[in-house]
Parts: sequence; C-alpha cells; structure tokens
Amino acid sequence: MEYAIETFSLTKIFSDWWGRAKVYAVDDLNLQVRSNEVFGFLGPNGSGKTTTLKMLLGLLHPTKGRALILGGDGSDPKINARVGFLPEESYLYRYLNARETLDFYGRLFGLPPKLRKMRIEALLDMVGLKAVANRAVGTFSKGMARRIGLAQALINDPDLLILDEPTTGLDPIGTRQIKDLIIKLAKRGKTILLCSHLLADVEDVCDRIAILYGGRIQSQGQVRDLLQQTNKRQITTDAISDATVAKIEQLVRDENAECVVTSPMDKLETFFIRTVTAAQKKAQPTSGAVSTTKIGDFLTQPPAVENILDKLVAAPISPDLSDRGPLTEDVAADTVSKSRPDEQLLSKLAGSSEPGQPGIAGFQEKVETEAVQTPTPESEQVNKDILQRLTGGPADQNEDGQETDNSQAGSSGDA
Amino acid sequence: MKVALVSLLLLIVILPVLGFSATGDETLKGRLQTFVSYSLSLMSLLLCVLTIIISVYTVTSDIEQRQIYTVITKPIRRYQFVLGKLLGVIILDVMLLALFSAVIYTITIYTPSFTNASEAELIQAENEFFTARAALNVPEEDVTEEVLARYEELERRNELPPDETREDIIAELTKRKQLAKRAAEVGRALIWEFDNVKPLAETMFIRFKYDIFPNPPDSQVYSLWLAGDDQYIKYGEQPDTPVYEQSHKHAARTFHEVEFPSDVVPEDGKLAIAFVNIPPNEAPVIFPLDGFEVLYKADSFGANFVRSVFSILLRLIFLACLGLMASTFLSFPVAVLFCLVFFFTATFSGFVTESFGYLSENVGAVYSYTLERVIQLLPQFDKFNPGKFLVPARLLSWSELAKAAVLPPWWGFDGDMVFVKAGLLLLLGLLIFRFREIARITA
Repeated sequence: MEYAIETFSLTKIFSDWWGRAKVYAVDDLNLQVRSNEVFGFLGPNGSGKTTTLKMLLGLLHPTKGRALILGGDGSDPKINARVGFLPEESYLYRYLNARETLDFYGRLFGLPPKLRKMRIEALLDMVGLKAVANRAVGTFSKGMARRIGLAQALINDPDLLILDEPTTGLDPIGTRQIKDLIIKLAKRGKTILLCSHLLADVEDVCDRIAILYGGRIQSQGQVRDLLQQTNKRQITTDAISDATVAKIEQLVRDENAECVVTSPMDKLETFFIRTVTAAQKKAQPTSGAVSTTKIGDFLTQPPAVENILDKLVAAPISPDLSDRGPLTEDVAADTVSKSRPDEQLLSKLAGSSEPGQPGIAGFQEKVETEAVQTPTPESEQVNKDILQRLTGGPADQNEDGQETDNSQAGSSGDA
Repeated sequence: MKVALVSLLLLIVILPVLGFSATGDETLKGRLQTFVSYSLSLMSLLLCVLTIIISVYTVTSDIEQRQIYTVITKPIRRYQFVLGKLLGVIILDVMLLALFSAVIYTITIYTPSFTNASEAELIQAENEFFTARAALNVPEEDVTEEVLARYEELERRNELPPDETREDIIAELTKRKQLAKRAAEVGRALIWEFDNVKPLAETMFIRFKYDIFPNPPDSQVYSLWLAGDDQYIKYGEQPDTPVYEQSHKHAARTFHEVEFPSDVVPEDGKLAIAFVNIPPNEAPVIFPLDGFEVLYKADSFGANFVRSVFSILLRLIFLACLGLMASTFLSFPVAVLFCLVFFFTATFSGFVTESFGYLSENVGAVYSYTLERVIQLLPQFDKFNPGKFLVPARLLSWSELAKAAVLPPWWGFDGDMVFVKAGLLLLLGLLIFRFREIARITA
C-alpha cells in the first residue's frame, strides 16, 4: 500500500555548540500514514510532534533515518505543490492584507490569475474574513491569523494537508468548522496529518492516531478500537415519558444489566455555537472574524470535475450544500431532547440497533453513541428548525437542512 | 523599516540644503563641483548602508519570525527564495537611486540660474563642468636608456653612492629624469606629441597645473601655449592648418584650462602641444605627475551623470549580494556588522593597501601575503568613485563601467570585477542556504 507519509527510523538529535548530543527530539520514529486517512499525531508539549513535521517538510534535516511524503522528498517542489502546511502559529507578513497574503501564496504555487482570484474569494468566505480582507494581517487577532493560515494551506487544494495545532486560538465555531472541513477533505480522498494535543479535536475527526512521548510512539491505532468500551451500550432518545423509561429499565434488568437514566447535558460547544449564531442572525456588528458555515467550493467538488470547474467558473458557484450548520445540528439533536415524546419512535429505535454510519468514523458523537437512531421524519423536522435558527443564513440553506441527518451530514458536500 | 524612512528623510532634507550651502571656491564651477561631489557621496553612502541593512533584514527576519516556514514549503526552490529577495532589493535600489539622482541632477542643472554668476563663470561652468570630456593619452617618455647611460657614467666616474643598491639608484635616477622631462627652464619649451588625434569636438582643452621653484611673490606663472601640426611646433615648417598660439598668466599649484579650437589638429592626426616658459618668470616651471592633460568633449553631462549613477548601482548590487550571503548563515546584527566591515574596507581599500607599504619589511611581508590578498578580493569602490569623474567633468564611458563590472584588475585591464565578485558571494550564499536547516533554533 502506498503511504502518504512514511518515516524510517527517523531520528533528530539537537546538539549543543560543541556537538554534544543534548536532546533526542525524535527517536527512531517509524510512522505510516495511509493515503486518504485522517491521522492524529498526539503528544504533550515537547514530545517531538513539530520536529517531526519539520523534518517531513525539509525544514530540518534528520540526524538519522528518512522521511517520505507523497512518496518523495519534502523539499522537492513537485511534492510541495501537492502539500498544504499550517505551522504551529500563523507566521504572516504583517503589512500584507488578508487578500494580498493569499494572493502571495497562490502565486508561489503558480496558480493562474483567474483561478487564484476565485479560490481566494472562496477561501476568504470560508474562513469568515471577507469583511476584513483589506486589513493588514498584522492587526489580526491570533484566531483571525489562524484562519488566514488555514486558508493559505488550502489554496493549492492539497492532496496532503499537514496541520500543526490547527485549532489553537480559534473560537469554538472556527474549531468546529476546521473539524468539519477535515472530514470533508478526507471524503474527497485527501490525506490529513493532524498534529495536536487537544484531544477532543483529534477524537472528533481522526481515523487513526499515534501518541508520541519523548520522541517515540507510545501507542498507535484506530481511534474506534482504542476508545470503544465494548462492555457498554448507550441509548439516546427524545424526551420520553417516565412510564416508558420504567419499561426500558425493566427490560434491561431482565438482562441482568445496570441501567442509568439521565437527561444528557448540552455540550458547551453546541451551546456556544447556538448563542453566537443567534447574535449573528441579529446582525450585531463585529470587527472580528465572521463565523461562516461555508467551505470553499473548490475544496468540496469531486476531484474529477474540479479542474474544469476551476477553469470555467470565475465566481463562486451557487451556495454549495457544504453547510457546517447541519453537523453541529446533529450534535444538538443527539443530545438535546427537544422533540415531543414518541413511543413509536422509541420502540423503533430500540429495535434497530444499527451500527455506526458508514465512513464517518471520526464523529465523536457517533463513536460515543454506538447504537444510533435512524432519523425519522419528526426528528428531521426538528433538525431543520434548529438549523434555521443556527445558520442565520437565508433560504438557500434550507435545502441543506432537509437533506441533513446524522448519517448524511458529512456527505452532503458530494451531492 | 524605520531605517529606510530615516535615511530617505535625511536625503530629502540634506540634498536641497547642500545645494544652497555648497560654495566651493566661490565660483559657479566650484559650487557645482562641491555640490555634485558631496551629494553623490552622501547618497551613495546612505543607499549602501540601507542596502546592507535591508538585504540582511529581509532574510533574517523571515527566518526569525518564521514566515519562511510557509514560503519555503511551497513549490519553490531555496535559490529562488534568495534570488527573489535579491531582485526585490535591487528593484528598491533602482527606484531610490532614480529618485534621488533625479533630485541631485535637477538641483545641479538649475543651480546656475539661481546664482548671479558672471558671464565668464557661466561659460567656465559650461566648458569645464556641464560636459563629459575624455583625455588624449599622454605618451609616457621612455627614459630607461638615458637612465642606464647615466648610471654607467656615474659608475665610470666612481660617483655612485656607496651604501645603496643598484635598483635604488636606478629608481632614483628614473624619478629625476622623468621630472626633468616635465620641467622647463626660463626661455625653454616643453613639447607633447600625440598620434592619431581626430578632431572630436569643436574645441579642445589643455588642463594643467604648474609647480614653480622658487615661488614668485604673486605666485603667477607666465606662459606661451602653442597647439598645432607637430612639424611646425618642432621644426617651424609652415603647416596647412591653423596654429593656436597664445600667452597666458595663471596661478601656480591649481588646475587651469586653456581652450583651443580643434581645427588646429592636422590631417595626419599628429598634434603637438608646446608650453614655453617666458619672462617675467624667473624660475623653471615643472608639471607635476598628472599635471598635464588634453581634453575634448566626448559626451553630455547628462549622459555622464547617468553612467555615474550606474556605477553607484553597481556597488549597491554588490552589497545586496553580500548582505544576502551574510544573512544565509548569520543573525541580523552579526550579518550587518560583517557587511559594514566589508563595505568600509572596500571603500578605503586603496588607502588600506597603500598603508601596508609603510609597514616595516618583516611585518609588511606577513601582511602582503595574507591581509592584502584578502583585500584585493574585495571590490575597490574608491577606484570607481562617481565624484572622481563628474567633478573634473571627465568621461565615464560605458566601457569604463563594464571594466569595473566584469574585467579583472590584472593583465592590464585595471578592472574591478564587481559583478564577478558579487556573483561569487551570491553563489556561496546559495550554497550555504541550500543546506541550511531553516527551522533550526540557535540559542
């Protein structure tokens, strides 16, 4: 199998001025990242994550061993053309404004002017900086700089995206957006190396993870395999009546198993997003980044069509299905019981212990709620309502809402 | 970059002030010479320092502030990064140079109309400043045979100084003989002959400086200058062409010029010029080394000015390459210091190498095989100083510029290879940068 990233006993020793070995930053690292997977590279501060990335990209020379990305050398321009890189902080040219910054990076890739312009506008839209696109990036807050950093990493529509702590400094909406973006890109066959110590982020999106400590891999594998509690089951329902709960408890007890019934808490992330979106809907002015739910069109088009579209389309196409809203919605629908009790639904749900949705291993919510409910018309309706509340967006977003449910959220972009 | 702003402001303020305050020797020509010389030197110095700082800063700040992480990981090669920076610095230099030299040129051109100079002064400025003149080659007279003859004569007479080597005596004799060739007793003439002279302009100029011993009380030297067919000057044969013949009075020990029409140049191109030491002079008149030249107008002041500015650009390009080279392996302050040392050594390289000559023999030998060789690798900025050409209104030809840019200083080319040296530095920098660990944090 062709690996997107492969290292062979990669070692980096930082030595002092006299050449004495001081720090084993990376120690005999053998890492394999398959094509088309989201790989989480975890570890505490100073565990060698960033050093590894720098060696992959040719910014540092390995003391020993070898690193291949996309089957080649990290300093080869042919390889670089297919890689997007977001360093641990966004190091930008302070006096360029957001649009000029992206234009600069676009030129480095030799993108033709028309395509460059189209992508820049799409990306600015996506990272929510269109309104401040003419402000020097030196005046940006850390989170806004982060957004521009992400946009520059995506301007070449990379096959391999290397993200070093992509969510630091970002507000929850931005974080959520990046996570959703990662999932969409993975669906389009991109490979993503996500380097982070924010476990929640990694857990949400990664197929496989490796945990690094002291420059060595301590643990590696499928997220689901590593985290799944096979001795437990969890059922989430709408707000059902106490009588039904009692019935269920009885059923469970019949199997000699423990059963705990509580009302799940809203995730703070969900709550935050809801609040901010409501404020945005009221069009309160902000001088910061605007949280959008858009993802650059060129990033979500199927690969085959992409080139032609890039060439043909001067302006961004009709608002694409790719709405972030639906996803966050799912979370809300999962955890918040808002719809009216429906015994029929419950029995249906209880009956069908369908396993996880295809292809979305990354969703934290899904991993946790192992047995998932198949959405019914009722829940879909609810979704749509919340969706409309969340996405202050106009009517065009309804379409998205309608076709959205847990299992489809990620795939809507391909529609 | 505040540094850039400060230098630019300095220039903007100082140039016009200089234009009004520079007076020179109180003549219009002196005033113009002083202004052009000072303003060009000032501009050159500031732009040189600015170029060093900017070229070093542009790379080191990218590395220190890590913008280079996202640039160098894009599909460009490392050499493209450095060459791109070089191009940027050069474009900036060209723009600043164009701006400031335009200011200097404008002030220079309009100075005559702002001063109430006399008609004579205006003509003098026109002839001796607002022009670009080339010099006829003054053939060096070969005195070797006479010196050897004299030496043998002294040897025969046993009058050689006992404690000196033959080389020293020969050198001393040569010096004396050459001096004698440039000296004229009262009533005697000095004749210079030129071959293949073409009447290149309407008028030609004799530029000269007298030494006279003992000095007359009023320091004035009386002279008769002749120019024309060599057969007439030497043997009195009647020529087909007119002859210039005019007596003058000039102060000793400063440069003066005598203008003569170029139709005195005979058809065969054999021009002779004679100086006659006439009464009331009471002492021999000596022309110091480089104290005699024949000049003709070869180009306009404007064109010469542009080429002088190019010669400044030449050194700016060199310094940009130097700065980039230093910044590929040094941090900002160290690289700037390195470049400044380099720059000042290059600026005073003539003085520095000359001073080695005064060291005692043992120390001198050590230096001449180490430091002097190193200094010879540097460009010699003082050799192609633009003021050196514009002040005496001397032609700085394109070939002279090319000589400074690419030709070597040996094999009689007397060039400076500035471009070659810059290229080598740049190559070295690219090589270092190619293998540098960009993300290496150096404590």
